[in-house]
Amino acid sequence: MSVGGTPRRIDSEGKVTGVTEYPADRIPPDALVAKVVFTNQAHARLTSLDVRAAEVTPGVVAVFTAPDVPVNVYGLTLPDQPVFVGTSHTGRTDVPCDVSRWEADHLALVVAETAHAADQAAAAIVATWEPLPVLGDIDEAMAPGAPLLHPENGLGHNVYTTYNIRKGDMAAGWAAAAAVVEATYEVPYQEHAYLQPEAGMAYIDDHGRVTVEIAGQWTHEDREQIAHALDLPEDEIRVIYPAIGGAFGGREDTSLQIVLALAAWRLHQRGEHRPVGCVWSREESIVGHHKRHRGRIQARWGADAEGRITAVESEAWLDAGGYNYTSNKVLGNLHLGQGGPYEVPNAQVTSHAVYTNAVPGGAFRGFGGPQSAYVAECQMNKLAEALGLDPVEIRRRNVLRDGSIGITQTPMPDGVTIAQVVEACAAAASTPPPASPSEPFTPFATLGPAAGDLRRGRGFACAFKNVGFSFGFPERCEAEIVLHGAVGDDAPHGADLFHAGADVGQGAHTVFTQMAAEALGLPIERVHGHFSDTAITGDSGSASASRLTWMAGNAILGAAEEADKAWRNGDRPAVGKFRYVPPPTEALDPETGVCTPNFSYGYVAQAVELTVDTGTGHIRVDRVVSTHDVGRAINPDLVVAQIEGGVVQAHGYVLSEDLQVRDARIQTPRLSTYLIPGIGDGPTVIEPLILELADPIGPWGARGMAEMPMMTYAPAVVAALHDATGVWFDAFPLTPSRVLARLNESGRP
Amino acid sequence: MQVDMTVNGQDRSADVEARTLLVYYLRDAVGLTGTNVGCDTSSCGACTVLLNGESVKSCTILAAQVRGADVTTIEGLADGTALHPMQQAFMECHGLQCGYCTPGMVLAATSLLADNPRPTEAEVREGLEGNLCRCTGYHNIVKAVLHTAEHDAAFWQARASKSGVTA
Repeated sequence: MSVGGTPRRIDSEGKVTGVTEYPADRIPPDALVAKVVFTNQAHARLTSLDVRAAEVTPGVVAVFTAPDVPVNVYGLTLPDQPVFVGTSHTGRTDVPCDVSRWEADHLALVVAETAHAADQAAAAIVATWEPLPVLGDIDEAMAPGAPLLHPENGLGHNVYTTYNIRKGDMAAGWAAAAAVVEATYEVPYQEHAYLQPEAGMAYIDDHGRVTVEIAGQWTHEDREQIAHALDLPEDEIRVIYPAIGGAFGGREDTSLQIVLALAAWRLHQRGEHRPVGCVWSREESIVGHHKRHRGRIQARWGADAEGRITAVESEAWLDAGGYNYTSNKVLGNLHLGQGGPYEVPNAQVTSHAVYTNAVPGGAFRGFGGPQSAYVAECQMNKLAEALGLDPVEIRRRNVLRDGSIGITQTPMPDGVTIAQVVEACAAAASTPPPASPSEPFTPFATLGPAAGDLRRGRGFACAFKNVGFSFGFPERCEAEIVLHGAVGDDAPHGADLFHAGADVGQGAHTVFTQMAAEALGLPIERVHGHFSDTAITGDSGSASASRLTWMAGNAILGAAEEADKAWRNGDRPAVGKFRYVPPPTEALDPETGVCTPNFSYGYVAQAVELTVDTGTGHIRVDRVVSTHDVGRAINPDLVVAQIEGGVVQAHGYVLSEDLQVRDARIQTPRLSTYLIPGIGDGPTVIEPLILELADPIGPWGARGMAEMPMMTYAPAVVAALHDATGVWFDAFPLTPSRVLARLNESGRP
Repeated sequence: MQVDMTVNGQDRSADVEARTLLVYYLRDAVGLTGTNVGCDTSSCGACTVLLNGESVKSCTILAAQVRGADVTTIEGLADGTALHPMQQAFMECHGLQCGYCTPGMVLAATSLLADNPRPTEAEVREGLEGNLCRCTGYHNIVKAVLHTAEHDAAFWQARASKSGVTA
């Protein structure tokens, strides 16, 4: 059986032998070298731009700037960003294109025979800037009199998206509360740090299409954005993803797609047909793409004496940076999560996205969920403490169940399993019994451990996260299956599967192949996949929102059924195409937030045990039980791999990753200063626990799960740290210096 | 300048700038793109190769410094079509996801077992601390290394005795 099995990944041999080609590996030796020139201005108006010296630099082929772009604006969910900052306006957009709002705004693209020539030409570009006040964070952006970063939106302030939830009677909620907990939380940036920095290549293919080979998350969306900027029909653009070296949301927005396409297209018009390649350094990658949002959330929750939530009042501000990217969508997810996976009778929730001059916030595994889950779960754990309740028991009394009305006042989709997930996690975490007091430890070999300063603690958190796009987005996924065999054959001897879905490393193409084999009753070796090329595959939607297995599975089931019909009709080959459309969702009502936000959810709970050295502030996570209802594990090994990888990525987010931004400029643009977990840094023990409680509308009952490990780690660690020290941490990352400072400030332990 | 070395058993020669790093010699001059570049600060280890049998980060060393040396990249690890035990182990244990760190990780692990054929889990983690992975959380990588150390013990013992190390 293909579904539920653990075949070897179809890409594994190529990856262990070095045969697999990532975008940079595809660039041929004769390709021209492109360099993106950043404005290097957090906020300034371009008053003049002179590229004549750059153009005559030996080895330079072309220098492209704003006037070369037919429609000089782009953006995944809101077109608010110039492709190039330039002095002249190229029309078709209200966005002032002469202002740099981010240090990594693009000023020009230099194309040269060699990287050296491109560097020299980039240095020869002369730009003059009129400095504008830098809005370094949300406080500066919301201060009275702050300059407007996007006056074109007509709002008159930098808070450009606000969502509300108004439910029940807040006065009654507070009146019924036996305990009220209130805090202001600060959540930090996170850098994706996929190991493969941005790289790509563009050329004109044999059919005359402007073709871009690059690593992304949604081929057809990249194509749409390129077509928009170049003002070309979409069928004249082709996007291909070779192997993708990680993504995690960081490739959801475009990086080099548009500028590479522009260069190949314009050079072709001039009779220059060589491909154009570009490879970013790590520093260009970290400076030049969006981050998980930093932000602030003020939360006040009340519960009655039995621990039942009576009121949730919460207000959040996300730092969107200079451009929207997907901030308005991330904000929606954060908004929905502010009440946690609980029955909330009375709620007043408000969420804002704020333009600043800092690095744009955008998609990152969890998509706003980890920030709100941190706050909701800290609030829940504080209520448990205030009421003298066990953290599991208080959740038992509040979690959503089948038939529950969610915080947006509509029923939850069937198959609400958070209660089962909480119980399973709690049971697993209590067996074996808590370990004996920890061995002394130190991260420094030369520094002797101080056993007397070690404290141990345990923490618990749970969460839900939507699977698939939310709030009325026209969600869909296409698949095509072609069955091969002779007329008269009872059954096909093989099949081709065409699917655009991006394998960013999670193993999507293996899982697609398994699902197609299962749907067709063929051995997996007889299914040949053709993936991630807009010329041969239909629109799959993005590798994001934990949606790809779920959506692709439903599309593949439909395509298999269509192909089977064609087969029984005598067609050879028998072709089946299918476009899966899930149940509709709705946008938030502007005043009350009433809507059906999502069609499916994943559910997660984590229990953490840790040791903290109160003398140094160092934390070691000894054990994490990560419990997931995945509905049906299409490939159990890959599910476990997602959990282990997600937990360690969350570990970095909570403990070590500390993106420093000063005056809206990134100070830590290297892997030597931005510290992702190494092989010795993660939790000592990760115990993945998988439940298979079917999603009624998931393919084979599957639920999405890839983001879930990210959701609850911060609040579970913070709860364990509180258990160990008696101190709450309303901000992270929990670097040793921050932990020590907070412990000292609180005078404990 | 002309730089000669042996790469995966073949003599190679290329005229490169003196400042050319080994990783770019391998990728651009020799055309072997299995060795990846993940950072500029010797932090990630994606560019790890074997230099005279020892793992090195090929971004930390100039091609000109290793003239005449014997370099093994990921493309040269298999014996013809027969995969190396470490490659097999990474496939079987799902020691990879996006795969970008994999060539460096496999080579670093190979070097580790050549020095210490039966490492403990802690020794594996210590031995691979110079190689970053953002996808797997490392557990399946550790599992792969311990798996081959156990299941291909004779292979690793033979390697160790050849390099003068005794377990």
